[in-house]
Amino acid sequence: MDSQQTFLTTIRKSLGLPPTEERSKTTFPGLFRQTNKAEILARIRQRTPQELDKLVGILLSNAKDLNISASVVASRDEAAAAIVHLVKTKNLEFTPTKHVVHHDHPDLNALQLWKCLEGEGVTIHTTFGPDRQLREKTIASFIGITAPAIGVAESATIIQLTKPGQPRSTSLVPSIHIAVLDRKNLVADLAEAYALLKEMALPDSFVCISGPSKTADIEATMVHGAHGPRELHLLVLSPPTNEIAIDTGIPGTEEPVAFQEEYLQCKK
Amino acid sequence: MSKTTPIPPSDYRTAAAAGIASPRLQKSLQGIQNRFGKGAMEFWAKMDDQELRHRVKESRMNTLAHLDIVLAELAKNIRARGGQVYFAATAQDAIDYTLAVAKKNNVKRVVKGKSMTSAEIAIDPALEEAGIEVVETDLGEYIIQLAGDKPSHIIAPCIHLDRAQIGQLFTDKLGIDYSDDPPTLTMAARKALREKMLGAEMGLTGCNLACAETGHISLVSNEGNIRMATTMPDVHVALMGMERVVATFDEHRETLQLLTRGAALQKLSTYVSFQGGPAALTDPDGPREFHLVIIDNGRSKILADPEFREVLACIRCGACLNICPVYGKIGGHAYDSPYCGPIGAVVTPLLDGINKHADLCKGETLCGACRDVCPVENDLPRMLAALRHKLAYGSDRWNTSQHNPAEAYAFALWKLLVSHPVLYRTSLWFGKLFQWPFVRKNKMIGSLAGLATGWTKDRDLPPLAGQTFAQLWKKKYAARRPNESRAQSKEAS
Ligand code: SF4
Repeated sequence: MDSQQTFLTTIRKSLGLPPTEERSKTTFPGLFRQTNKAEILARIRQRTPQELDKLVGILLSNAKDLNISASVVASRDEAAAAIVHLVKTKNLEFTPTKHVVHHDHPDLNALQLWKCLEGEGVTIHTTFGPDRQLREKTIASFIGITAPAIGVAESATIIQLTKPGQPRSTSLVPSIHIAVLDRKNLVADLAEAYALLKEMALPDSFVCISGPSKTADIEATMVHGAHGPRELHLLVLSPPTNEIAIDTGIPGTEEPVAFQEEYLQCKK
Repeated sequence: MSKTTPIPPSDYRTAAAAGIASPRLQKSLQGIQNRFGKGAMEFWAKMDDQELRHRVKESRMNTLAHLDIVLAELAKNIRARGGQVYFAATAQDAIDYTLAVAKKNNVKRVVKGKSMTSAEIAIDPALEEAGIEVVETDLGEYIIQLAGDKPSHIIAPCIHLDRAQIGQLFTDKLGIDYSDDPPTLTMAARKALREKMLGAEMGLTGCNLACAETGHISLVSNEGNIRMATTMPDVHVALMGMERVVATFDEHRETLQLLTRGAALQKLSTYVSFQGGPAALTDPDGPREFHLVIIDNGRSKILADPEFREVLACIRCGACLNICPVYGKIGGHAYDSPYCGPIGAVVTPLLDGINKHADLCKGETLCGACRDVCPVENDLPRMLAALRHKLAYGSDRWNTSQHNPAEAYAFALWKLLVSHPVLYRTSLWFGKLFQWPFVRKNKMIGSLAGLATGWTKDRDLPPLAGQTFAQLWKKKYAARRPNESRAQSKEAS
């Protein structure tokens, strides 16, 4: 604390204030002034499924610009089918065998990936609690699956909060990151996302992810997969609102449906 | 001072000349400026919220005016999250603290996220001296480290190297087959660095923006290296210049968006990570210790000077580099500092000595482009001119001596002459007389002697004319002046 005293005294001196007189934030109410978030929060919560679908459309088109391969899945089964397809078809990068790690999240646990990848030579890990072997398991995995708390349409961002069962490395260390975003967690822009974040007790660590890892350090040539995942697949879990909503021509909506058969087969 | 030795070329001049002579660098700089510099200008012009930059600047200045309160709040909230905060008055304090943390944790390898502050305080040599391996993990910085070179751009550190040079470097240092294909080279670095990052005990990063209200630092990166360095090692130490803080979460959002737009026209960087403390006991990953080192190292002196306080509003986006015509020609090495370009030309002398870096502010053209592109509307040209003023007249506050006394005498003499017509005319008369030995056959002065040599180094100078303008006027036109009665009658009508 001593270093702090001297340091802040120097600052007060620099500002032309009496150096030893500590200033308190209560004397300057404007400094930490809070804007009223009620309106923003109400807007987020009152969004109709149709409005959310519009946001999904914006998200998908922005995702494309950032090389995120994003698609809409209408049900958990479809999400699982899309994941199974990726696990089966994607190449390994650092490891000889196929391991997959996913967050301990109800949406992901419900996919029962272990069941539909049975007999495929794939090991599935779940990031349960304080598992001390998790580091090794994550390093061994070529795919990491998470269910982000918030999605932001405007910048195609997903926000991942660190909490028990949802460690940071799952979306970072494996070669491929798959995020399953529930449509109801989608907001329009960063201002809305910050309002939501502010409302909760912010965790010590969280991250906004907008795309796969990339670099342009060698002659300004864009390369994906610098240190983080080289691919980011975003599955927006979006149950059909009504007939019209499904048929909005949103790109990518049809794709996962094609996997359905394959998936249903594996489920037997 | 009668000896006619020309001013020796400074490091700035030599490096600038080398930059200008490199076609590779010229092409890269042009590429980056055309894309990002112009892009940022266009973006600001058509941005919906035209008040945003102004608002953020105001909040930056307000934070600076209450920096004691804001930093105390930040420290309090980070400590509440279990993080440790150390206030370092000098570079040495910051180094000592970091070394102590490393020693306590038995650190053998440090992986770094790109941080200019770490270069400012020169922490790498100190760590290495203590027997600790230091690995840069940003691809550009890693290449620079392998090459034993220095970065030349705030966000594109190895912009001065081409793919062939990098390919050769990787063959020599990493032992891979030669390739000049950027994806192949990137993948080679990805593999090599992954091992380094998974096997390091300490991650050392900077801090892009801390948020006092929530008790976090935030770090931006596109590669993911910073996330790696703050997740996989057991200890995370973040070095932060004391001005890199905002008061509220709202301010954080607006400032962050200007930062990523200004830097590379991104709505957000690929990763924006927030850290406030060590991993919880229930977290299976993340650092067991989190240290935030808040560094003064000369900043309080800048804060104290109203003329320069504004420069602390800088969010280090690098936009001013991407628009500056001087940086665009000479490149970053000439600035000989972790901070280059227009922002470097202002902040380097202030942090490290105005006399020592005298060439920096003189090299810039004061065209104003950096002010126009700056997301926080920093008036760098004004501050460059203020620095020149200090060099011309000296400054006690900044411990600056007159940079070029001979030049000062010359101007004092000039002032005397132009304010005394008789003296002026007499000296012209002498000048005309004494210039003849220097006038060449083409009626131009090709080279001057003494202090004036520089004037004729790259161009010829016309000699003083035989007759002055006043003399010519008298002779040719005075007779044609409308006579007074006519002028008066016109006025009357
Ligand atoms: S002075 Fe302005 S443009 Fe330059 S780096 Fe700082 S914030 Fe960016």
